[in-house]
Amino acid sequence: MAKVLLVDDDVDFSEATKTILESKSFEVGVAYDGVEGWEKVKAERPDLIVLDVMMPRKDGYEMCKELKADPKYSDIPVLLLTAVAENVSTSRYTTLMGMETEADDYINKPVEPRELVKRIEALLSR
Amino acid sequence: MTQQIQILVVDDEQVMREGCQRILSKRGWGVALARDGREGLDTLKKNRFDMVLLDLKMPGMSGIEVLKEAKSVDPKLLVMVITGYATIEFAVEAMKIGAYDFISKPFSPDQLILVIERALEKKRLEEEAERLRREQEKSLHDIATEKSKMMTIVNCMADGVVVTDRESQIVLNNPAAARMLGIHGSNLVGEPLSRYIKDEVLNQLINEILTCRCSEHSVLSRELVVGERTSTHLRAHACLVKSDEGEMLGAVIVLEDISYLKELDRMKNNFVAMVSHELRAPLAAIEQQLMVLRDGFIGEVSEKQRHLIERIKERTDGLMTMIRNLLDLSKIETGQILYYKERTNLNELLRKTVELFSSQAATKKIALYLEEERVLPPVEVDRSTMEVVFNNLVSNGINYTPQGGTITIRSSVEGNYIKVEVSDTGVGINPEDLPKVFDRFYRVRSEQTRHVVGTGLGLAVTKAIMEAHGGSIKVESELGKGTAFTVLLPLSEKEQE
Repeated sequence: MAKVLLVDDDVDFSEATKTILESKSFEVGVAYDGVEGWEKVKAERPDLIVLDVMMPRKDGYEMCKELKADPKYSDIPVLLLTAVAENVSTSRYTTLMGMETEADDYINKPVEPRELVKRIEALLSR
Repeated sequence: MTQQIQILVVDDEQVMREGCQRILSKRGWGVALARDGREGLDTLKKNRFDMVLLDLKMPGMSGIEVLKEAKSVDPKLLVMVITGYATIEFAVEAMKIGAYDFISKPFSPDQLILVIERALEKKRLEEEAERLRREQEKSLHDIATEKSKMMTIVNCMADGVVVTDRESQIVLNNPAAARMLGIHGSNLVGEPLSRYIKDEVLNQLINEILTCRCSEHSVLSRELVVGERTSTHLRAHACLVKSDEGEMLGAVIVLEDISYLKELDRMKNNFVAMVSHELRAPLAAIEQQLMVLRDGFIGEVSEKQRHLIERIKERTDGLMTMIRNLLDLSKIETGQILYYKERTNLNELLRKTVELFSSQAATKKIALYLEEERVLPPVEVDRSTMEVVFNNLVSNGINYTPQGGTITIRSSVEGNYIKVEVSDTGVGINPEDLPKVFDRFYRVRSEQTRHVVGTGLGLAVTKAIMEAHGGSIKVESELGKGTAFTVLLPLSEKEQE
């Protein structure tokens, strides 16, 4: 049973996403910003992290950079979530508002439950 | 009305006096007589005379004394002295102190007339010349006043003014221009324009103006940034300076400081971006929750409930789209979108669009056809925004075409453009609404279109993107029959042969 850490400051969005993922037998942990997110990463070591970009204290972009720079955690796949999507491409280096991140994948909010699950499964099977 | 010439004869000899009077009156001139210097001077004080005939050798006050005094009163007085044949040197002395000419006794009436006429004519010409000179002085003064008035106005202008000659050398500038270009000391005259305006496109445009490669009435406008330390945003408007005879003299450039506007734009865009996020995040949460509800994740859902939830989601989708369009439009309008132009075969993009909408079209039983021009030359376009264009047009087609209709996308080459036509067999657009469809937030409200969820921004964004690519879009429609949108994109220069 894969462990997914969901890091997002929107309570309602987190609840909804948690419901979706738990129905597919994922074990879901939730954190509300990058600082709390790091605590949970260290404590629980998830198999995948779903990371919202716009968060207080430490945003997803920064947390992603830190994760990938740390050899202990760089292998955990990161799925970046945002409601601020303009024209971005998905690749090893994803472009987010002109910045580059090393996220493994990138998806817009809101996301169809089926699509979300598909992407997560794809990342986990790599 | 020319007044009669008046001549005063001052001579102690009565014969002389009367003789002269006879000769001069016969000529039509007015004559006055004086017996001696004193009487002569008194008469001069009382009347205006064009000339004085003055005998030099007189008892009492001599002619020379009379001359001196008369001239001191009126330096311009024409005095002709009469001398004896043997006393020419007195005449010379008289002329040195202001006599105009002399005549020596004895003289014939003709000689007298001739000498006087010559003097009068010369005086008349001198007066005429004096008059003309004064007039010219006045004109020059007026011109100078006008000119300095203009210069004062130009120097007080808030906008910068720079005038160049045919070789792009600066011939005139005002302090505002010097300030905007960041130069201390307001005189840039003599320098080449390119020394201060490094913007290549502007310099090239000015070159075009100067070499008459564009219409004489065109004003070329361009935004540029100057200054190394603090960038100043300027807008330059350049046009031709022509003489009255049509000779091309140079160019005049007006510089507007738009730094303030740019700052406002930047603030507005930050605001728009901020608002956009603040609106989107809650909407995203609402949609996620709706999907969880709809898909039965928290309990079974009846068909009616599911349908309602779908309808709610459509409205929130609409809001999301509106926010995205507003943000796009704001960026397009303030030139913020970085268009990454690449050589593209439009047919490729069109196929992508067809694929994207095929299931939506199928649901409504609408046939979606693509008629490609087989050999379509590539164009330099930003792919993602061009996708937005075609997606918008097809989406509109589907929304406004009833069940069983048809949408056709046709690509072709027309002159120096690629033409893409998206036509449908939909409800059509009222002629009244037709000119307004590209307006922001404009939505056609009719019985058939009431249920369509839309923002009224799609076509505004589409048009803005087309214009940013140097292309155009137009629409034709017939109520009840259908609508056709035609998009034109310019071929790249190489392909234009």
